[in-house]
Amino acid sequence: MPSIDKNNDRATNEFNQYVKPVSLWADAWKRLRRNKMAVLGMWIVAIYMVVTFGAALLPFKSYTEQEMLHINLPPSFKPAGVVALGRLEERKVELEAAITRSGRADLKQDLTRIENEIIQLKGEVDTDPKHKRVYILGTDYLGRDMLARTIYGGQISIMIGLIGTLTAAMIGIVLGSLGGYLGGWVDNLIGRFVDLMYSLPYMLVVIIIMSMLPTGSNSIFVLYIAIAMISWLTISRVVRGQIISLKNSEFVEAARSMGAGSGRIIFRHLLPNSLGIIIIYSTLQFPSFIMNESFLSFLGLGVSAPRASWGTLVSEGVQGMQLYPWRLLVPAVSMTVFLFAMNFLGDGLRDALDPQSKNRN
Amino acid sequence: MKRVLSGLLLIVMAATLIVSCGGKGPAKGVEFVMNNGAEPQTLDPSKIQGVPEHKIYMALFEGLVGYDPKTSLATPGVAESWTVSPDGTQVTFKLRKTTWSDGTKITAQTVVDSWLRTLDPATASEYAYMAGMVVKGANEFNAGEAGKEAVQIRALDDYTFQVDLLGPMPYAVDMMAHYTFAILPMHVINAKGEDWIKVENIVGNGPFKLAEWKPQESLTVVPNDKYWDAKTVKLSKITFLPIDDNLTAYNKFKAGEVDWAHGIPLSLVDEIKLRPDYQVAPQVATYYYLFNVTRKPFDDVRVRKALTMALDMQELVDKVTKGGQLATSSMVPAMEGYTPAKGPTFNVEEARKLLAEAGFPDGKGFPKTPILYNTSDGHKIIAEWVQESWKKNLGIEVTLLNKEWKTFLDTRSNAHDFDIARAGWVGDYLDPNTFLDMFIIGSGNNDGLYANPEYDALVKKAGTMKAGPERMATLQAAEALLIAKDQAVIPFYHYVEQDLIDTTKWDGWYANPLGVHDWKYIGPKK
Amino acid sequence: MSRFIVRRFLSVIPTLFIIVTLSFFLIRLAPGGPFSGEKKLPPEIMANIMRKYHMDEPLVKQYFRYMGDVLQFDLGPSYRYKDQTVNDLIGNAFPVSVMLGTMALGTALLLGTIVGITSALKQNKWQDYAAMSVAVLGISVPAFVVGPILMLIFALKLKWLPTSGWLSSRAGALTLIMPIITLMMPYFAYIARMSRGSLIEVMRSDYVRTARAKGLKESVVIRKHVLKGAMLPIVTYLGPAFSGIITGSVVVEQIFVIPGIGRIFVQSALNRDYTVIMGDVIVYSIILIAANFVVDILYGLLDPRISYK
Repeated sequence: MPSIDKNNDRATNEFNQYVKPVSLWADAWKRLRRNKMAVLGMWIVAIYMVVTFGAALLPFKSYTEQEMLHINLPPSFKPAGVVALGRLEERKVELEAAITRSGRADLKQDLTRIENEIIQLKGEVDTDPKHKRVYILGTDYLGRDMLARTIYGGQISIMIGLIGTLTAAMIGIVLGSLGGYLGGWVDNLIGRFVDLMYSLPYMLVVIIIMSMLPTGSNSIFVLYIAIAMISWLTISRVVRGQIISLKNSEFVEAARSMGAGSGRIIFRHLLPNSLGIIIIYSTLQFPSFIMNESFLSFLGLGVSAPRASWGTLVSEGVQGMQLYPWRLLVPAVSMTVFLFAMNFLGDGLRDALDPQSKNRN
Repeated sequence: MKRVLSGLLLIVMAATLIVSCGGKGPAKGVEFVMNNGAEPQTLDPSKIQGVPEHKIYMALFEGLVGYDPKTSLATPGVAESWTVSPDGTQVTFKLRKTTWSDGTKITAQTVVDSWLRTLDPATASEYAYMAGMVVKGANEFNAGEAGKEAVQIRALDDYTFQVDLLGPMPYAVDMMAHYTFAILPMHVINAKGEDWIKVENIVGNGPFKLAEWKPQESLTVVPNDKYWDAKTVKLSKITFLPIDDNLTAYNKFKAGEVDWAHGIPLSLVDEIKLRPDYQVAPQVATYYYLFNVTRKPFDDVRVRKALTMALDMQELVDKVTKGGQLATSSMVPAMEGYTPAKGPTFNVEEARKLLAEAGFPDGKGFPKTPILYNTSDGHKIIAEWVQESWKKNLGIEVTLLNKEWKTFLDTRSNAHDFDIARAGWVGDYLDPNTFLDMFIIGSGNNDGLYANPEYDALVKKAGTMKAGPERMATLQAAEALLIAKDQAVIPFYHYVEQDLIDTTKWDGWYANPLGVHDWKYIGPKK
Repeated sequence: MSRFIVRRFLSVIPTLFIIVTLSFFLIRLAPGGPFSGEKKLPPEIMANIMRKYHMDEPLVKQYFRYMGDVLQFDLGPSYRYKDQTVNDLIGNAFPVSVMLGTMALGTALLLGTIVGITSALKQNKWQDYAAMSVAVLGISVPAFVVGPILMLIFALKLKWLPTSGWLSSRAGALTLIMPIITLMMPYFAYIARMSRGSLIEVMRSDYVRTARAKGLKESVVIRKHVLKGAMLPIVTYLGPAFSGIITGSVVVEQIFVIPGIGRIFVQSALNRDYTVIMGDVIVYSIILIAANFVVDILYGLLDPRISYK
């Protein structure tokens, strides 16, 4: 427990030896930098932030522009026209094979159309600049660039994840520690309030909130509120549990006997000792906020099409994964890499802020 | 750890063995499994209102008339034959001597009592208005304005049933295949009340009878040996599964666990289309966008026309929906004897000209309008395509606004709080009227608040006319007003029924306009 | 302790009452009703329906009627599934979900603690990184991705398992495997990561250091002191997790066609099937309150330092 002696302004460690006075944060930062995985995680998160939030300034394609001749192109470094032509030729072979099996009229129409498209594309492929585009991560069901869609999708998903995690941690910590430390009726009241919030039909509550807004106001702000509303419930119970188990331990008794007030005990002694679990739980919650957003967008909350979040991109991708695996893999892998980085960073932070490990690494 | 896992595996395997040994009885006849797409809301024909329920109804019950498996028109059911009076306003049915699955006789009085039960306000049937559209006095009784004696239906003798129509309605008999006109086991209903529908009580007169119903899981029927045409029935058991996840349903079909899957996963249409067991047939149904014609700038027909003409519906069905849907510019799908009126088609230059005339040259100054649609991947893709097409062809920016189903309905149909909204209409019977009478002033389904007295007059006039080309011409004139002149809606395409069933293996299943498939004809191919 | 239990139990009843009352009035505020559809019903028909379900009465009267029925354990008719009462619907689906949820949570708890302990003991070694990567993957990839992928591999490609269905279908217990795996993944991840973190913390704590200093064998220290103390956050988590896994398995139920309660929860809200929503709220709050209650009692048993005064 580092404690700063106000009289002589010198810090002591637990064996009452003077140590170099470093703040908790500077010290944590030093230790964080020593953790290779955490540093890697930090870099990845930083790159994601720069790329997604600075997307408009970077030379990416439009995430809305559709090109009917470039529908569902696989990732490739070749020009789009060449890839599209290859796909059409493949389709032609497939259709011809299918026609020999069933001879349905709609297949024959499709074949004629594909043949015309091949002729059209062959004529344009060398002249039209749009066929010179390169879709390194492929295109979607309307011929839009997957890379651009995934990057713009990251904006909303990362924001939601961060806001959800932060509000959850803040509200959860305050209410959880109050309930756990004070106990009695305060604890009971907070506990029952949490039960109430869990039990109300969340989906309908969101629908009702939305219906009360004037039409056309589809603000992201409401989405944040909807996420924040339930994000803190479980974490407050986890914090409460930690506080309850720690509040009778020796070091708290010691602090109390030295005349420390409740606030000081909670914030200087109990919470730092629960920080590990809080950080782990928070980083674990991150992906669930991202998924929650895609569920809320089903209700019409949040970004509207053609803008998509990672969650919606992934859920669209799943449906067609047998035929167009890149439509699932591109957003799913982007998201997973980011979540891995967040977890390593979270672990690093946990270790760095752990009061027990101070000066011992 | 390893030991725990292998132990678990052993238990699971043993359980499987026991279950699978117990489950398989001696196989008799041919079993058929279909995915019905949803859990049936009810089996009570008076309260049915959806497609999955209808499929089960077709197995358990039979009305006076049934559906022809190829044309969907009326075929003899409980009625052997029928005659229509010369002025077309009275139909007399001759009933065959047949019984319920418990042996109780079905008489003309049963039919009278059944119809009256469905119309009774206390039954609170949602589809009672179908009967109200054709049967004289039905609406008055259902609305509680008159007693049941007001309903003009009667049993002339045990096997002769007569009904008076509101006018010379040519589609009335075809309509009577609908479940609103079901014949019900009144002796069971009177004895058991609301519980008559429980597996242990239910009695039917269809080709099959209920064997088991595990809600949210499966429903099985087996042949009804009391059915008058029992010899035609070929299947020994039908299992209805309530799978609403199209991907799972498709996977189940692919794995051979399902014989008939209705509906397909949109994203896999490229693969499914190539399958020889993919069945696609035009449906009497239209996908369209509605304008709220009371709002600016959509009160200007030039704006409505410009927006319509900037959309290439052929591109939509070829590149976006891809399931074989039929691009259209008409509200009513083509039907026997009816040629739909044509609306304006894709023409960018003309569209830009009209938009400029309306005061928005190159889309300048056009308000940022939201397109309202209910959340679904299919609707979203179309809306995204529309948005981009208008941007590209007209230079106008619109936004997309999705809502979950019930909120969407409330916004569109009750509050009329939209500028442009997505809609779809499935015909209830094979007549243009089912697509046109909703646009008359004051109709509950006139969500865009279209109001043209001339149109109303034409539709109402057609309602009093006898079947024939003249009546169809009147309806066509009405449609021309709605589409070609006023452009109250933008028709996109006519839906298609998309089914997966191997017709080289199964006989008696034909793609047909209403997508209704009588179970008694379906059987293995010889 | 017993005084605590009594006091806690007494607070359950008003909590339930408030939840039910609030929900009853709240859900009526949502736009749309149980009987709205693409084809709007004529007003006369709507009036018949409203009368039949007493929905034409003032809301307060409906509330008292409903509460009266609930006290007699009658949750009313479903407006959508007209042949079934809410008691039927929940009664059929609840056991299925409890079975699936318990098996999934049990598996998650077993695997999660094993992986968590392994990780904690091998902290910052490759076993740790591998285990934690699996956990992060488990929580990053949502059920609606895991489910279809499993189905594609094990049912369609390898043909080892049936695509979907529930116990009573022909394939029997084999149908359980994919739903359990899909359902347990995120719970497994939470438990693995939380138990690792909590173990590491406890292993560094004073009382464990004391135990070690006393010369106790490492395995004894871990079993007797570390595990017991480290279980606390997991036990806390299990309360909400238990109610969550039983009622929140809608995606898994939909993909694998399982007649569970998760679908009923979601569909009733989307269908505005008021009585079913109310039934869900009651069932869910009872499970949740009971689970949290049990957790609070477990605290005292797991950690002797905790006392309820």
